[in-house]
Amino acid sequence: MIEIDDLTVLFGGVRGLSALTARLPEPITGLVGPNGAGKTTLINVLSGFIRPARGSVSVDGKDLKGIPVHKRAAFGIRRTFQNEQVVENLSAADNVAAVLDNVPTDGQPRRALIARALDFVGLGAKANVLGRNLNAYERRMVEIARSTVGSPRLIMMDEPGAGLAQDESEHLRQVIRNVHRHCGAQVLLVDHDVDLISATCAATLVLDFGSSIAYGPTPDVLADPKVRTAYLGVLEEGA
Amino acid sequence: MPDFTPFLVSGLALAATYVLSAVGIVVLYRASGVVNFAQGAVGALAAFISWSIVERGGPESLSWLAGVTVATLVSLAYGRLIAPRLVSTDPITRAVATLSFALILLGFMGYLWGEGPRRLRLPTDTMSFELLGVRVTLTRAIAFGLGVSVTAIVMLFLAHSRMGLQMRALASNRELSAMLGVRVFRIDGWAWVISGVLAGVSGVLLADLQRLSGQTLTFAVIPAIAAAVIGRFASLPATVAGALAIGVCEALLTPVPVIGPFRSATPFIFAVGAMLWMQRKPVFVYR
Amino acid sequence: MTDRSLEGVSLVASSRLPLREIAVGASALAALYFLPSYLSDYWLRVLISVAALVVASLSVSVLFAQLGMVSLAQYGLLGVGGWFALRMSHGTGAPFELALLTGGAAAALVGLVVGLPALRMRGLYLAIITLMMAGAIQVLISAFGFPDGGAGILGKSTGARVMMARPFLAQSDPAYFRYAVVIAAICYLLVLAHLRGRPGRAWAMIRRGEVCALAGGVHIVAYKVWAFALAGFLAGIAGGLLAGGVGQLDGSAFPASQSIMLFALTIVGGAYSWFGPIIAGLMLRAFPALLNEFHVDGNIATMVFGVGLLHALMTAPQGIAGQLADAFRSVSKLVKGNGGTTA
Repeated sequence: MIEIDDLTVLFGGVRGLSALTARLPEPITGLVGPNGAGKTTLINVLSGFIRPARGSVSVDGKDLKGIPVHKRAAFGIRRTFQNEQVVENLSAADNVAAVLDNVPTDGQPRRALIARALDFVGLGAKANVLGRNLNAYERRMVEIARSTVGSPRLIMMDEPGAGLAQDESEHLRQVIRNVHRHCGAQVLLVDHDVDLISATCAATLVLDFGSSIAYGPTPDVLADPKVRTAYLGVLEEGA
Repeated sequence: MPDFTPFLVSGLALAATYVLSAVGIVVLYRASGVVNFAQGAVGALAAFISWSIVERGGPESLSWLAGVTVATLVSLAYGRLIAPRLVSTDPITRAVATLSFALILLGFMGYLWGEGPRRLRLPTDTMSFELLGVRVTLTRAIAFGLGVSVTAIVMLFLAHSRMGLQMRALASNRELSAMLGVRVFRIDGWAWVISGVLAGVSGVLLADLQRLSGQTLTFAVIPAIAAAVIGRFASLPATVAGALAIGVCEALLTPVPVIGPFRSATPFIFAVGAMLWMQRKPVFVYR
Repeated sequence: MTDRSLEGVSLVASSRLPLREIAVGASALAALYFLPSYLSDYWLRVLISVAALVVASLSVSVLFAQLGMVSLAQYGLLGVGGWFALRMSHGTGAPFELALLTGGAAAALVGLVVGLPALRMRGLYLAIITLMMAGAIQVLISAFGFPDGGAGILGKSTGARVMMARPFLAQSDPAYFRYAVVIAAICYLLVLAHLRGRPGRAWAMIRRGEVCALAGGVHIVAYKVWAFALAGFLAGIAGGLLAGGVGQLDGSAFPASQSIMLFALTIVGGAYSWFGPIIAGLMLRAFPALLNEFHVDGNIATMVFGVGLLHALMTAPQGIAGQLADAFRSVSKLVKGNGGTTA
């Protein structure tokens, strides 16, 4: 459960987020909006990279304000990046281990946890392959695997679907749908691919100019005329 | 209680050399992004050239000019020939490159002149006047005067001249400046020239005031960098204040028992203090 | 320095045991065991110093290769370690190993206390602060000198200077040489253990990017501190080794320029390779000794090293070791012929 209250982020004179308020309880929630709407800004606030000027944000009832950036992963906030952040010199398993080092393991053997995470994303056979030898899609999967270890509460994915082939896209949807069952975490999915959002997210939050313009079940939101005007464009006649 | 006045006077002169060197470092850093660890070595070279000319019977009054000229040329050579090859690397690489330049100069000077004790004498050493009951040599007065005037000139130059404006543009955003038509290469070159002149002058003065030794003069870059740290490599007024503080403090500690011999660690203390002060509010910059 | 500069070279291997490397290492150690019998006394002493300097260079390379951190104070910390090792040995008659560890711990502590303010800031500030640290250590060491058997805090002897007591197992020069090599090998293993474990992974994340590290839960400053402490420890061990090898250390032999040279030669030797510190140690000690034999001025060495560093920075960040490795790879490709499989 993500609770956002009156969240405002200022970049000089620009309002990155403007008194944003939202309650996001669904296991998989979409976050869409035109460029500059504040999607990445919101995720960065959740990650702790940006300090809000006003307002607060809570995950599972705990206000994130007091949690230092490097402790958020242990608390359960994880993310994948638009520019993937896989370490090239480490194997896939070591990449996952690097995060596992810093998060609760509940006494379970590390090797098993790493194997489970890699199997979940379909990289079980590539555990010992160095990061630099993994292709772009495999690296994204490594990032997702990293985010599922050690009792995560919230996994934020920043445009994971960009530039994927058809089968990779299918696989990604499967993985996203199974995340909650696999590790109990809520997913916040930012992407421009409306089909991906429709296929995976039960509810979607639409941002524009730093505020929420719509929130609700995904099909309803995508059909909302306000959203159409701001983001999707007007539906062509007869299409 | 020892009389501090003579040490205050010598401290101000010493501080002035630090000011000159530190201003050179900050101007160069702001224009080109390079922290010049070789500032002291270049100054040392200027001092040795001056000394050699006098040794061979050349005119004393012009020897320093030759020294400063050589320093400027060497500095410009580095800035035009070597620095451009590193322009795409990160600041640490570029700074370490100047360190290697310092090593080369250090070896060169050690080879040609060795580390034997010598003093560089300037004609102004023998002229002096009385101030506050202390004999002030003209050299010291000139050093202090130069420190003040050069700083003022540089600050005016940066603030009001066209090239100064271009240098500030470069410091702010190099690529953007290039796109806007600033002749980056040329402005860079001038920054290295300014740095070389300041290095040469401060090297010659320091060799006169303290000792002409390759090692000592090369590592006189440390107080200059400490002052630049105090100015956060950005603010000239703060840098100058830092250099003055360091120089005066160092000199004032000379007659103090026990601590006196370790006064050369003063810049270090100042730099650490400045760094701790800079960190008092944690700042994370997200890029 | 970002991961860009580490392309093609990896210190962090995957989890399989590097059998080839171990075989190479073991045979090298065996060769070194027999080496002393072929060397003159003078060259044996030179190589003992080389062994100590290899460990010092390793300290520089760990910081640089793992975190892009430039420390210009490692030779100074070697001096600090040597001082404490000597003081411990002369003052308490403790066994050599204990003195060595004391030196390591002291150097680690000193390095940390001084370097801590800069560890939170941009890497440039660490370079600056360590340069100043080297300068400050120079002042202190030349003022206080090294303990040589006397009483009092400074341990300066009023009579004859006492040599440092060598380890029980390694009294003679050849034996001490082998001992030093073993210690160096242990230091390498210590670094390897770090790289394979938590610190190595955290350092790799930091290297990848601050954002990557923070999002992955890595406390960046804490791991930088760990790396710096390790480097200080290694430098201190090197100091103790040097003190034991030479018997006494000279207060005038620790100018700041030596720390700069140590850094320069580590880069030239190859900071990203295991072999690099060995090349650096040889260059730092054996090269000037060689020049001495041919009556060439030591300052020439300084200039050559400066040029070498400049060249390495401009063209070959992997250093000599990296270029050798590249050459070796191309040769073995040639030997295997087209269509041959890689191991």
